[in-house]
Amino acid sequence: MNANLRQLGFLGVVVALYVFLLAPIAIVVIAAFNAGEYLRFPPEGLSLRWFGRFLGSEPFVRAFWFSLKLASMVTVLSTLLGGAAAFYVVRHAGRSRDLLQLFFVAPLQLPAILTGIALLIFFYSLGLGTRGMAGLLIGHTVVSIPYVFLMVGAVLLRFDRTLEEAARSLGASAWTSFRRVTLPLIRGGVISGALFAFITSFDQFPVSLLLVSVGNTTLPIQLFDYLRFSFDPTAAAASTVSVAMSVAVVWLIDRLVGLEQVTWGGPR
Amino acid sequence: MAHAAELGRRELRRPLWSVRPAVLLLLPAGLFLVVFFLVPYLNMVRMSFLTKAQGAAFTNVMTLENYLRVLGDAFYWRVIGRTFWLAGLATVFTVLLGYPLAYAIARASGPRRPILLMLLLAPLLVGAVVRSYGWMILLGRVGLINQMLRALGWREAELMYNTLGVLIGLVHVYLPFMVLAVAGALEQIQADVELAARSLGASPWRTFWRVTWPLSLPGVFSGGILVFVLALSAYVIPILLGGNNVLVMPMLVVQMLLDAFNWPLGSAMAMVLFGLACAVLWAYVKVMNRALRWIPR
Repeated sequence: MNANLRQLGFLGVVVALYVFLLAPIAIVVIAAFNAGEYLRFPPEGLSLRWFGRFLGSEPFVRAFWFSLKLASMVTVLSTLLGGAAAFYVVRHAGRSRDLLQLFFVAPLQLPAILTGIALLIFFYSLGLGTRGMAGLLIGHTVVSIPYVFLMVGAVLLRFDRTLEEAARSLGASAWTSFRRVTLPLIRGGVISGALFAFITSFDQFPVSLLLVSVGNTTLPIQLFDYLRFSFDPTAAAASTVSVAMSVAVVWLIDRLVGLEQVTWGGPR
Repeated sequence: MAHAAELGRRELRRPLWSVRPAVLLLLPAGLFLVVFFLVPYLNMVRMSFLTKAQGAAFTNVMTLENYLRVLGDAFYWRVIGRTFWLAGLATVFTVLLGYPLAYAIARASGPRRPILLMLLLAPLLVGAVVRSYGWMILLGRVGLINQMLRALGWREAELMYNTLGVLIGLVHVYLPFMVLAVAGALEQIQADVELAARSLGASPWRTFWRVTWPLSLPGVFSGGILVFVLALSAYVIPILLGGNNVLVMPMLVVQMLLDAFNWPLGSAMAMVLFGLACAVLWAYVKVMNRALRWIPR
């Protein structure tokens, strides 16, 4: 009985912790579909009116499209840059390997808000300012590169290079062997790296806070500004859209690669 | 391996300037991070020693004035103290709450495991703004918890716009990082070690404290560093859940930069926070390394 009781107690703790983790997110989604002005218990019935408000609110819609466009560009840029760097560091770097690895992961180790501050001052020192999208694109890419680097690096470390040698010795050119052998085998790392980069940008707050400018506002910043002055569920609808994006990404990674690969993905 | 290298070399038409073509893989990302990461950071360090000018953001006059102003002001020290205190508390609570979760995930088998993992990762991918908003709905004056308290005939509780609210938000947002770090360490422990302890007559409780816990400490320490640094630089959570009642350093730094346009002073404040964080982490790593030496391997 003692062992059973202990197990039951442990199960209870784990369930409670998951409730703690997920409740605030679930609450936002519920509030978005709730008819009332604020969330009451029991709920006042189902409604899509807050989504209507969200779609009717020009700042929110513009911020959403802006974030989507920005995150897509960041994904492409950081995947190309980070992936290529991972290739070099895993395969070609000699003694400099540890140092390079430290360098490419550094943006992840330093607080993003500090990176944002440094970039803000840097852009203004150059006389460029932060008008337009370029500053945000650069800032988001800086903090996204480490994810791609780590995930592509992890699959490359486990990669069996005799497969490439086989392709080459059978007469495939370097490019063909890369395209037909290497790329399909490291696909998992590249895809999860890219998706992480996407969500890092789409949900980015600290870097954006410092680099946004009038007319170029991302969804999290717009949401934050809104929440400082108003509490109404339009924000819940906007949040729900952003939660849906994240859930879609987790689901995609799981379907395409398997979550196991991602979580303990660091070099073993 | 040697064969492939041979093949690679034969195909390579060596250019006059002898740069190995592989370096071309490194250059784009390397240059990008040097220009937009390393240089801006160095520039910020330089900025913290410059002087604020009338009508311009700064002049190229070197001074220690900014640092003296931050370090000599009791107000800043109070805010710094609060920032570190909150980050420390958040770290302790993420260990307390994260350990059981990590244990459950590391020991789960079969189809349960990916589900537990997905439920842990999903919140990690939802931005801090959205999660703070969720807590605002729960903890606010007319929030769900207070509605419940009132329905039970109890008094309303102040759950938000104070330290408690900020702490709840910090623990919630950074808990998954701790869980991932600890679960990673727990995974490394071979089941045989625990089994051996049990078969030699140790109770489950004793097995945990004498075997599992010490072996998982490296994960707890690395998770602790991560959470502490993240919590030190938190900005959204203290603003949304603390209102203006819980002032922390990142809020002051951002205010100084975006509202007061005082870049030299703002940079100096950021550097002080960063420097103190490094000092604390250095001491932490020293102490923990000593502690880890006692773990039997």
